Amino acid sequence: MTGPGRPTGTVRARPASELRLSAARATAAAPVRPAAAAGARGAAQARPAPVEIRAADVDLTVDLGRGLVLPNPIMVASGTFGYGVEYGEVVDVNRLGGICCKGTTLEPRIGNPTPRVTETPGGMLNSIGLQNPGVDAVIERYAAAWATWRAPVLVNVAGESVRDYVEVTRRLDGVPGVAGIELNISCPNVGKGGFQFAIDAGAAGEVTAAVRRVTDLPLLVKLSPNVADIRPIARAIADAGADALTAINTLSGIAVAPGRSRPLLGNIYGGLSGPALKPVALRIVYEAAQVVKIPVIAIGGVTELADVLDFLAVGAVAVQVGTAIFADPTLPVRLADELAAECGRNGLTTYRDLIGTARPARAGQPSVKGVEYRP
Amino acid sequence: MRLAAAELVDSREILPGQWLQAYHAPDLAVGSRAGQFIHIRTGDFSGMVLRRPFSINTADPATGIVTIHFRVIGRGTEWFTRLRPGDRIDLLGPLGRPFEVDPRSRHLLLVAGGLGIAGVRMLADEAIRGGRRVTLLFGAASAREIYPSTLLPDEVEYVVATDDGSLGHHGFVTELVPDYEAWADQAFACGPAPMLAALARLAAGRRERLGVAKLGRRRGGGRTDPVGSPAARRKAFLQVSMEQNMGCAVGACLGCVVMSTSGTPQRVCREGPVFAADEIAWEGGW
Repeated sequence: MTGPGRPTGTVRARPASELRLSAARATAAAPVRPAAAAGARGAAQARPAPVEIRAADVDLTVDLGRGLVLPNPIMVASGTFGYGVEYGEVVDVNRLGGICCKGTTLEPRIGNPTPRVTETPGGMLNSIGLQNPGVDAVIERYAAAWATWRAPVLVNVAGESVRDYVEVTRRLDGVPGVAGIELNISCPNVGKGGFQFAIDAGAAGEVTAAVRRVTDLPLLVKLSPNVADIRPIARAIADAGADALTAINTLSGIAVAPGRSRPLLGNIYGGLSGPALKPVALRIVYEAAQVVKIPVIAIGGVTELADVLDFLAVGAVAVQVGTAIFADPTLPVRLADELAAECGRNGLTTYRDLIGTARPARAGQPSVKGVEYRP
Repeated sequence: MRLAAAELVDSREILPGQWLQAYHAPDLAVGSRAGQFIHIRTGDFSGMVLRRPFSINTADPATGIVTIHFRVIGRGTEWFTRLRPGDRIDLLGPLGRPFEVDPRSRHLLLVAGGLGIAGVRMLADEAIRGGRRVTLLFGAASAREIYPSTLLPDEVEYVVATDDGSLGHHGFVTELVPDYEAWADQAFACGPAPMLAALARLAAGRRERLGVAKLGRRRGGGRTDPVGSPAARRKAFLQVSMEQNMGCAVGACLGCVVMSTSGTPQRVCREGPVFAADEIAWEGGW
């Protein structure tokens, strides 16, 4: 990132230290300790030969507020890691930065008709339809195990009305093992004609505020990319009291069945995830991080360390790994190790110095820049 | 279930577009049972984000060789055909629940439709090792897609059907099944969903037709085992190996479900791929 000899090194080093201020300002949750800042600055000055730091000494912790501290910034994304128990001994959950469990609703749901998943170029489509046994069964079956893990477990909460979200949250509040809530607002709001909460700033803010009122648990809200401009929505959610944003959920898409007589998925529509989604996720994290003071956690096509560094550069404080887990279940643990090693090589005592290095020097323009192509 | 590297030993196109590959994977060869599957990663990590599930076609604990049998249907399977002996792959397994053979069953009827042979092939080995008699009914579109008998154990009674009548019975393989209904103690099937549904319909009335319920001692002595448990499946006359588009293959993503008669979707990768035929809601049910 700040490697010696790269022409951009000088340019980057200075914004990086300025950014530490803006990062500290923007993400009160991730303050930079003076010692760490001094260390990084020292390294920047001695650029030809950064003082290497042992990977084990690099601070990877992420403080998201309300007592939620991730051991490292590599989480696993909702829907790709079940309830944390499915991968068994293949993945050491205690080395993950955090776990977002499968979307959980008030009542059990059987989900969508099959086929539910299909591979697409550089990604996959899924339309599981929030199959889950209901919040009470989730607590009964899994919370006891979660309470023994070092990695915090955030329950991904979904619903079809504000009341649903509030009630599920109430039941999770105070349950040992539940470290926080991630609101999945990419669900149809049945009370408001079936439009997703996530595509409307008013509805997104309303559901966030309602959940905020009933819990002191750390509250993350997951943004949908299926919107024209993310900024008003991100602002509304932050103003409503969310502790962090996660971005992004899947991008709506379809695939065609062999024979071409119908769409492939049983639900017709599915959500696109995987590397194909990364540029979209980068753009939304970049935009959202400029307009909110709460931390942004990035999701979208992370398959290697470079992806993690890219998301940190545009302002994310942490990332979630999703689809890539299917091909490589041990990837999240390995990414945490690689991130520590990368920081160590560059003489950084904390990974936080990597946050926001690609953000504009000045606060971004107001939302005159839409999502359309501009030459 | 574990992640392991396996080395390709042999790769052959045994039928037009169908490949048989042998991998050296000693732990897997020892630890897997008929009906289970493995999830293999392709080498193209950026383009193909999902692993590919394959039935364990055969597993030889003595040599550590595990084989898979597949048809080239897309870029993933095509990628596998380009592997050369010595190449290594990354596999996850063994996964899923195996076929459950009742210890008292002496006559096993295996029914395979096309590529479904890969789902039941290993059970033939296991059954013959256990001193059982095995009849394999195999259905294919035409004679050129008939599974080579040289790839089967000598002890297997092999009967084929072709859709076009170019070899064996002219018609569906399911039409052969009634002839074996009385002979077979248990039946195990893998193939296209309509074939499995037809077999399930045939199996449903068997007990009454044969008077088993009245004359024989009820299997299990009247105890009822939880639906889906190995014990309950062991008592089922027909067990089927199901197929579904799959994501994680460990039960995390809920991509590969089939609807059950209890109304709860069951994961092919975790509760399956083998199910008792009466666990499945063959008409769907969503």
